[in-house]
Amino acid sequence: MREFGQVLRGEWTKFRSVRSTVWCVLAAVVLTVLLSSLAASATSTDANTAPRFVDEFSFVHQPLTGDGTVTARVASLAGGHEWAKAGLMIKDGAAQGSPYAAVMVTARHGVRLQSTFDTDVAGNAGTAPRWLRLTRTGSSVTGFESTDGRTWHEVGRRDVDRLPRVAEVGLFVASPLDVQTRKTGAGSNETAMIPTRSTAVFDQIAGDQLDPDAWQRTDVAPTVGPRLGEPGDADGTGQRFTVTGSGDVAGYGIESWIPPGDDDMVRNSLGGVQVGLMAVIALGVLFATSEYKTGTIRATLTASPRRGRVLAAKAVVLGGVVFLAGLVASAAAFVIAQPAMRANGYTPPAYPHLSLVDGPVLRAVVGTALFLALLAVFSLGIGAIRRRTVGALILVVVLVVVPQIVGPVVSLNAELWLGRLTPVAGLAIQQTRERFDSAIAPWAGLGVLSAYAVGAMVFAIVRLRGRDA
Amino acid sequence: MRGALHAEWTKLRTVPSTGWLVLAVAAGTVAVGAFSVFGLGTAAGADQTRLSLSGAYLGQVAVVALAALAVTTEYDTGMIRGTLAAAPRRGRVLAGKAFAVTAVTLCAGALGVAGSYLCARLAFSPGPALMWRPHAGTVLYLGLIGLLTLGLALIIRHTGGTITVVLSLLFTVPATAALITDPVWRERILRVAPMTAGLAIQATTDLDALPIAPWAGLGVLAGYAGGALVVGTMLFLRRDA
Repeated sequence: MREFGQVLRGEWTKFRSVRSTVWCVLAAVVLTVLLSSLAASATSTDANTAPRFVDEFSFVHQPLTGDGTVTARVASLAGGHEWAKAGLMIKDGAAQGSPYAAVMVTARHGVRLQSTFDTDVAGNAGTAPRWLRLTRTGSSVTGFESTDGRTWHEVGRRDVDRLPRVAEVGLFVASPLDVQTRKTGAGSNETAMIPTRSTAVFDQIAGDQLDPDAWQRTDVAPTVGPRLGEPGDADGTGQRFTVTGSGDVAGYGIESWIPPGDDDMVRNSLGGVQVGLMAVIALGVLFATSEYKTGTIRATLTASPRRGRVLAAKAVVLGGVVFLAGLVASAAAFVIAQPAMRANGYTPPAYPHLSLVDGPVLRAVVGTALFLALLAVFSLGIGAIRRRTVGALILVVVLVVVPQIVGPVVSLNAELWLGRLTPVAGLAIQQTRERFDSAIAPWAGLGVLSAYAVGAMVFAIVRLRGRDA
Repeated sequence: MRGALHAEWTKLRTVPSTGWLVLAVAAGTVAVGAFSVFGLGTAAGADQTRLSLSGAYLGQVAVVALAALAVTTEYDTGMIRGTLAAAPRRGRVLAGKAFAVTAVTLCAGALGVAGSYLCARLAFSPGPALMWRPHAGTVLYLGLIGLLTLGLALIIRHTGGTITVVLSLLFTVPATAALITDPVWRERILRVAPMTAGLAIQATTDLDALPIAPWAGLGVLAGYAGGALVVGTMLFLRRDA
């Protein structure tokens, strides 16, 4: 162990006393920070000028004066979307955007109590058939659910301000848009919104004030501008209705809401690392090849004949320094980018403010430093295998940088596969939003790069042992 | 002048790496081109000519290595002192070097483009026509990349440093542009980055949607190459070797 400490110290001395090392580390940090903040100040969004809620659904309703209770069973819910909703709602009239509260079953996300486009309370899991009950007491609305119609479970209670004394109460069905985003070129994409429809059967409809003949159906929809969904339908009388609906009742704070912007703020704040990594590659390659160029490798191996240890010590020194420098660079890049991005429209509700200590941000920032450290070790391995600066440098650049440029030019498929199979996969650690062009999960991506780094180092150690220096 | 050219040609010809790199330029260009046209189902409205020539992205890496090595190995090995002792008129040495490197690069590029064109003819029917601007333009593009590298190599005089700087300039600037969502800024960056501007020469469809017109784009790259060569030449004439 003490011997390894000495080898480590020797490598550290060699590393820090070379001028190009200092330049490379400095260049990596400066380029990362500078280009990240440049990219951040040249990136803008208008997501917050887009509508902040959607209110489109099929509503079978009648007036309810003062306090009261409605009960119904959702016998079945069939349709195209995981967020299809069917349930009981109380709403200030049938106009779009008016206050509401609703208890509902969803196709795949259990029972929910939602209100006023911003509150979402989850009940039990499961879907239809399910009994639902909605009770109004003053301005407070309580939702209940039951699997048998006898034992009731309270889902939640919300205060709905501005709910008038006479409100509309009834059955509703909604089914959100299917959003499919497709890449049309490097950096540009196209979003297709396909309406879906769902049909629910309601029976055992009961309520102390309900008039079986007073039901009427309204398509709640925008009064101006295009509809997102399709017109709905309803059939039935008195105690049993089949209702078809399309659209959604949602806003910021409700899980089914599709916010208008899907930029990954964290990844965009750290974009400069794609330039900074060039300096890291050069650093890693030169740390190995310069010993061959100057011939110091022979002195090194005479001083510590256990060759595996020499390379391991190099990897530790290089990885450690690059990790620390990378951490400084990515944290600084992130912090500097935030005010610029806020000024360019990245503000709540579409883009909540981010802080360095948020889980995903921390993962991305520390992960970026890890990415750089692993990339440096991979470059070191390739440098030790090739022994020549040019060959090693080109090999690593062709593996790391070229796929990022060529992939988008060829096709989305090419881009995704190159993003999974080449060392660039490690950059996935910066993702904090699941997007249509995400090639691989964050840690899995870093795993791919680690495999490259470990593979290169093992092969380099085997080669170093087997060859004359 | 003929003597200087002859000397530079001999130096370039007798290094084994030159042969390998010429092969790499041609093979890299053809390989990525073939991968693009045969490989992954391409979009219906894609620019077939441009797609088939996308191998230039890879081929240029070997061009960078070739041009950088032509200058930096002389400094690494110390041969530059012999060269300058034999031919004290440095301008001529440089002109000979630039001429030799450009000739080799253009030949390698022409091989690569010809191979890519054949792949495109095999992959698509009827296949894109052989056109002066995109095909010869790609060869010119590779030649200009060689000159740009030569200029920067004269400034940096270090193999690793030169290759890192040139490849960063070429590749990572457009990679950062991909992160920028503001279309105005994106266009600006794609217009002034040497690689994206220069490769506009390959486009045959949607010319209006390009960030920069084809010949103007190649002009931008020529500007970079010229600038690097002027600075490199001045330093080469003044500095001790």
